[in-house]
Amino acid sequence: MSNISFDKLPFLLLLPLLLLPLIRQRNDALSYSWTELLPQDGLGKIAEWVWRILALLTLLSLIIGLAGPGRSETQVEKIGKGAEISIVMDRSSSMDSHIRRASNSQEDKTKELNKQLSWLQAGQSQSKNDVVREALGWLLTQSPHNRYALTLFNSAAMRATPFTDDIAIVQAALDASDIGRGPSKTNMGRGLLAAIEAFEGRSYSGSRVIMLVSDGGARLDEKTRLAISEGLKKNRINLYFIYIESSPNSPNLETVGADADTASEEIALHLFFQQLGTEYKVFQAADPESLNEAVQHIDEQQNLPLIYFEKIPGTDYSRSFFIAALICCSVLLLLSMTQRVNWI
Amino acid sequence: MSQAQEFFYKLPGTPGGNRPGAHRSRSVGSGMSFASHRKLIDQPDPRRLDLRASLRDVRRDWLVKVYRQNSSVTIQAIVDVSASMHFGGTRSKLKVVEDFINALGYSAFRHGDAVGLLAFDDKARDDIYMPPRTNRGAGITMAETLAENTQVATARKGSLSGLSDCASQLGAASSLVFLISDFHMPLNSLSAVIREFGGSTIVPIVVWDPSETRPPDKNGWLSVRDAESGRRRQLWLRDSTRKQWLANVSRRRSELTEAFTDQDIQPFFMEGEFNPEQLTQYFMEMVS
Repeated sequence: MSNISFDKLPFLLLLPLLLLPLIRQRNDALSYSWTELLPQDGLGKIAEWVWRILALLTLLSLIIGLAGPGRSETQVEKIGKGAEISIVMDRSSSMDSHIRRASNSQEDKTKELNKQLSWLQAGQSQSKNDVVREALGWLLTQSPHNRYALTLFNSAAMRATPFTDDIAIVQAALDASDIGRGPSKTNMGRGLLAAIEAFEGRSYSGSRVIMLVSDGGARLDEKTRLAISEGLKKNRINLYFIYIESSPNSPNLETVGADADTASEEIALHLFFQQLGTEYKVFQAADPESLNEAVQHIDEQQNLPLIYFEKIPGTDYSRSFFIAALICCSVLLLLSMTQRVNWI
Repeated sequence: MSQAQEFFYKLPGTPGGNRPGAHRSRSVGSGMSFASHRKLIDQPDPRRLDLRASLRDVRRDWLVKVYRQNSSVTIQAIVDVSASMHFGGTRSKLKVVEDFINALGYSAFRHGDAVGLLAFDDKARDDIYMPPRTNRGAGITMAETLAENTQVATARKGSLSGLSDCASQLGAASSLVFLISDFHMPLNSLSAVIREFGGSTIVPIVVWDPSETRPPDKNGWLSVRDAESGRRRQLWLRDSTRKQWLANVSRRRSELTEAFTDQDIQPFFMEGEFNPEQLTQYFMEMVS
């Protein structure tokens, strides 16, 4: 609260207007022939002073509200413990399409079918984005002591939140990613590089994880591959790939071998990640067990205490001043409604 | 302007006056009240020969009866036109005074008396003036003069020194003087001012407005500015303040009455409207 500043300082030049209610001459008083005839009344004097003070407060809060008081953006030192997890989420149009899962066992199949039928009957189904958001939301609630950052990418990377231990912010950013449809292009390289960049210059506090959430692979060119590989190694970042099966034909990356067919983008990516040299794991977003495993993996990491600075965004207090002015105004209105305006 | 209402007035004592009129006077002439006998040689009016008195007379002169003539008097209305007189709930007090002046002019004409107008606030007002006249339309002229010159409310205080200014302008001939004011002023020098009017019969007419004397019924905040001094007073109207208000008004009324009765004068209170019957009654009570 100490560093309050005003956006529109010139409005404070209106402050002398505060003297207006204190000026004795007012026209709203009824003229009377001889005030000596009237009784002295303490309550009346109180009413007058209440009126003046309220009018003064109204003007004061209006002027201060107009001047736009606010706390400028500040940094707060925080001591934290836990892994730093950068979620890199695919927000391309393919994520808006609906999920179709391949299931192995017959039992699962009927369950799945029933589920799908119920979706159909309800006239709704889950998009991949919904599944991912649910999964990530669950993940956040499971290990809230970690610090999370969220980066969305499609044709370009978009930093949604920097590293923060406030789960609510990350959750809000996740919810916001539900709005609208993404562009059709997917540039995973940029997303990954942006996420790696976020780790640059931060002191190492424990495990660093980039959690890549995508429904498909991408062909990365040689330059990007090199940059990713170097960045991950330099910053000692682990890479977890949370993979969403696009169709029953999608390859199961958890079981794919090193000798798989590289014609598929997913597999090519998978293979590239495997040979990076940092720890790499792949999980299924639609599979709770797989996600649970991911949480455990993260929790197992050794975490060092960390001193870091968190930015507190600037806040605008003018609204509360306007509300105060409104309240004062309504009390003034009530008071003037009790005031006699004529003798008859 | 409404139809002038007539009231009757009488004067105590016997004022002088040459012009015949309706009031008992000291002047000699054709009248009903016997004054004395005179010798026929001094008063050559054989119609009034008093044989009985002549026979009784030691000097054996013919004696003639002499009567007192009823004569007219000069009336002056002195009106307070200070800021407080502009006050009024429905009508300003000056409007009520106009009604009275109109009635006074008409009544004076009916009595055959001359009537004149003077006005004052903190000093005598020269713009509101009419010398005594016996016109039929004197009342209307006076009321119009008053109305025209008081259209804009002044902030001037009414004071007894203004009244004494008027007194000095008055001729000695005036027999009946109406002092028309709300008397919202200090009354310290009242006896001195009254003395300036000499032997005239003084009728103070205290003009008050119902809004002045009766507090508003509804409770609430009342912010009041004095018309003359500009002083402000804040009231929260409730039963106790209303009681206090009424008490103040009745105290002021008795103060005024006391101040005037000390000078052997009875004030006439006029609240909200002019009632000619009440004024007639006032004169009847005063004279009889």
